[in-house]
Amino acid sequence: MTAITDDLVLPPRRFSLATAIRRNPTITFGAVLLAALIVVAIFAPYIAYSDPFKIAPVNRLRPPSERWWFGTDQFGRDVFSRTVYGARVSLIVGLSVALFSSAVGLGLGLLCGYFRKVDSIVMRVMDGLMAIPSILLAIALITLTRPGLGIVILAIVIPEVPRIVRVVRAVVLSIRSQPYIESAIAGGTKNTKLLLRHVLPNTLAPLIVQSTYVCASAMLIEASLSFLGAGVPPEVPSWGNIIAQGRTFFQIAPWTILIPGSFLAITVLAVNLLGDGLRDRLDPRLARRL
Amino acid sequence: MNAAAGRILEVRDLQTQFNTLDGVVRAVDGVSFDLARGETLGIVGESGCGKSVTALSILRLIPPETGRIAAGSIKFEGEELTTLGEEAMKRLRGHRISMIFQEPMTSLNPVLTVGTQIAENVVRHMGVPWRAARERACEMLDLVRIADARRRLDEYPHQLSGGMRQRVMIAMALSCDPQVLIADEPTTALDVTIQAQILQLMLELKEKTGTAIVLITHDLGVVAETTERVVVMYAGRKVEEAPVAALFEQPLHPYTRGLMRAIPRLDIEADAAGTRPRLQEIPGLVPRLTQPIVGCAFAPRCGFATERCRIQAPPLVDAGGGHTVACWEVDRVRASAP
Amino acid sequence: MSEQGTTERPVLEVEGLVKHFPIHGGLLQRRTGEVKAVDGVSFSIARGETLGLVGESGCGKSTIGKTVLKLIEPTSGRIVLAGQDISSLAPGAMWEHRRRIQTIFQDPYSSMNPRLASGTIVGEPLENFGLSRGRETVDRVARLFERVGLRPDAMRKYAHEFSGGQRQRLGIAKALSVNPDVIVADEPVSALDVSVQAQVLNLLIDLQEEFRLAYLFISHDLAVMRHISHRIAVMYLGRIVELTTKRRLFTQPLHPYTEALLSAATAPDPRRRQQRKRIVQGDVPSPAKPPPGCHFHTRCPYATAECKVTAPPLIEVAEGHQVACLRRPVGGDPGPLSVA
Repeated sequence: MTAITDDLVLPPRRFSLATAIRRNPTITFGAVLLAALIVVAIFAPYIAYSDPFKIAPVNRLRPPSERWWFGTDQFGRDVFSRTVYGARVSLIVGLSVALFSSAVGLGLGLLCGYFRKVDSIVMRVMDGLMAIPSILLAIALITLTRPGLGIVILAIVIPEVPRIVRVVRAVVLSIRSQPYIESAIAGGTKNTKLLLRHVLPNTLAPLIVQSTYVCASAMLIEASLSFLGAGVPPEVPSWGNIIAQGRTFFQIAPWTILIPGSFLAITVLAVNLLGDGLRDRLDPRLARRL
Repeated sequence: MNAAAGRILEVRDLQTQFNTLDGVVRAVDGVSFDLARGETLGIVGESGCGKSVTALSILRLIPPETGRIAAGSIKFEGEELTTLGEEAMKRLRGHRISMIFQEPMTSLNPVLTVGTQIAENVVRHMGVPWRAARERACEMLDLVRIADARRRLDEYPHQLSGGMRQRVMIAMALSCDPQVLIADEPTTALDVTIQAQILQLMLELKEKTGTAIVLITHDLGVVAETTERVVVMYAGRKVEEAPVAALFEQPLHPYTRGLMRAIPRLDIEADAAGTRPRLQEIPGLVPRLTQPIVGCAFAPRCGFATERCRIQAPPLVDAGGGHTVACWEVDRVRASAP
Repeated sequence: MSEQGTTERPVLEVEGLVKHFPIHGGLLQRRTGEVKAVDGVSFSIARGETLGLVGESGCGKSTIGKTVLKLIEPTSGRIVLAGQDISSLAPGAMWEHRRRIQTIFQDPYSSMNPRLASGTIVGEPLENFGLSRGRETVDRVARLFERVGLRPDAMRKYAHEFSGGQRQRLGIAKALSVNPDVIVADEPVSALDVSVQAQVLNLLIDLQEEFRLAYLFISHDLAVMRHISHRIAVMYLGRIVELTTKRRLFTQPLHPYTEALLSAATAPDPRRRQQRKRIVQGDVPSPAKPPPGCHFHTRCPYATAECKVTAPPLIEVAEGHQVACLRRPVGGDPGPLSVA
């Protein structure tokens, strides 16, 4: 009779938040910063001390002071309040685009990676989409329909999907030849279960990392669109809008551009840091060295 | 015993450790051995026993971010290597002590021709002009029996088969006439017939050049047919050392015995009737090296283990004829059935 | 032909199996040639018997394993599993037959999904074929764990928490779960340490005797082969060059390549080094451009002019002993050959 072999090799490691934070400074920094911005966006009505839409020409172009923390723009609107509300637009666009493009990209990527026939057709379409500059595509779509937040999100999702599809497809292709996939097939696992249970979980790590980059990219594109006047309507405070409107008076009132611009930069930085940190942590070969 | 002048390499109480997420791993835990001029020494053990780490320690190739030589001394021709500066070490590597590895594909640079890689080594250590170095490279390829050597100089690693690449590695390693060649599992990744060719080649070259070889492997067959003296390692420690004939004729350490009994044999006429005897298993698993091991490392798996074995690590004792073994119960082992 | 001497039909029969892989090249990626990985192979395995498939890299043994499992589609030839011809079945139709033939792979580290618990992996075939579900699967998996020498409470652990030898046991448990007729074992012990190798080999032998499993055991290691096989087939560049019982292969090898393998193999006996071994020179040719005639003629010390031109068929030259060599005719002298 076969002897019962000994204990398992590795004891499970206990999880400690403090150690996790110490070992992953990039993720912590990015996550905390992003969380702070999300809080600001959600609680905007409570944080902003005045109405971002209220026009008061008598207070136009005031520099930052005790009364108007970030000064006012040419219509006398409080830049602080507008910036705080602007966070909403950027974060909503960034997160929605990341979410939708990931969902669509994941599905297409799995199918392309696994079924050769699907691959040849879909990848040609993806290549075509990637060739179109996203800003032009967005402008075209918006011209054809009414401008609004939903359209902006859709216009940015479409050119971002191919990026995700590529990443997911690459992972699927590399996994497909792994012995455990063959082992599962030999054990009678059918295609659907194979994709969902064996392939998909392995795509999640690179997918999450890629979607953070998509989020950052989406926020910048939205700002550019709004700057060009092709994004959200001009009254709605968006960092891009604020910067656009401050352009004419940059020389005498630089705070109208610099402050929302800094916020945008910091947000994008936070998301990129989070993505970089996650990528380093989730890559199995790098993670073991940390 | 060899006179000090005949000893080209002296390793004493070497301890190499790594920092991992699970703690400090004592990969090499107090290992000592000598290498005489022109001798072939085998270091044998299973994965995780520390044999490769020992070799890397000699050449100071342990990555400093994760590991270090914690204690011990390594003397090469009387010179202490553990405290030698990095520049001096670089002059030594590939020149007076060379190393070849298991995977020739990843040990050779894929974007440089074979001739360039060998010649580069020669230029670096011997300071000769490029032409002379290329001539030397051609000579070396001839030496390792690569047909049509001059043409092969300009080929890239991917154009050569696994066996040929390993020959190129050997050529590179011997190009500057080293006194010691360390071979870490040089034939493990090769086909059986190619392995036989490479081992035969290594023995021939040894006769011709007088290089001492440290051959690291897990394969007892390779050890038996190629080496003169053998060191058996287990869990970072040396458990037995003997001239090769003595080791196989009468292994004294229970681990060595266990290994020999666990191997399926080609040579023994064990199954005349076509029956299949059971292989002798060694129960249990290799111990984890993250905790300091109390007592004999092999005790949990040893059929001869006593209470003393579990609390006190046995020292290496001389069993006669150059045969040393670390075991409290060696008399009982010797008396028991082979 | 089995050693058991029964008249029962073999559980796995392979006839004239061929597998060619196309090579694409050029700008338009057209088919420029093919790798004849498996070039007309026939054998059969009876219940409770182990057929060893031995050879060096490029000989096609792994390809045969995958083709028999229908993980790769054969180019031509017949595969009959428990009396059913599965050679040309499409993946959908093949599914129900997979119950009868399972596999164990070489690399314990990549043959288990790192994200699934070991109990889930081992129980998956049971659920796939609807043989049990939920609570019952858990029970069966627990019993399988015990049978292969693992503690049942280890079911919740993940693959990386086991050692290499333990993972191979998991692989064996999974293969065993659906009570197959045949197990294809592709180098199952090559990546294991010697001491662990012994444990796994002993386990495989025990299970074979208990369940009358047929093994197609693929390996490059002759010593392991000798220990576990009943009959052995030696392969070279896609063809079987010798096929006979274990005893006859080692006492009376007929094919020059078998002789080469035996002399090249190392054994833990220092006295062997004294013997002037005849070591065959040259490299294994690439399967994309095999030598004409007998594939082995480029390295064969006994090759004649005819060997370079005519491919020798695999014929039974003595009872239960097949050889593919022009210099080994039916009823010929089994003694050593002379250099031509």
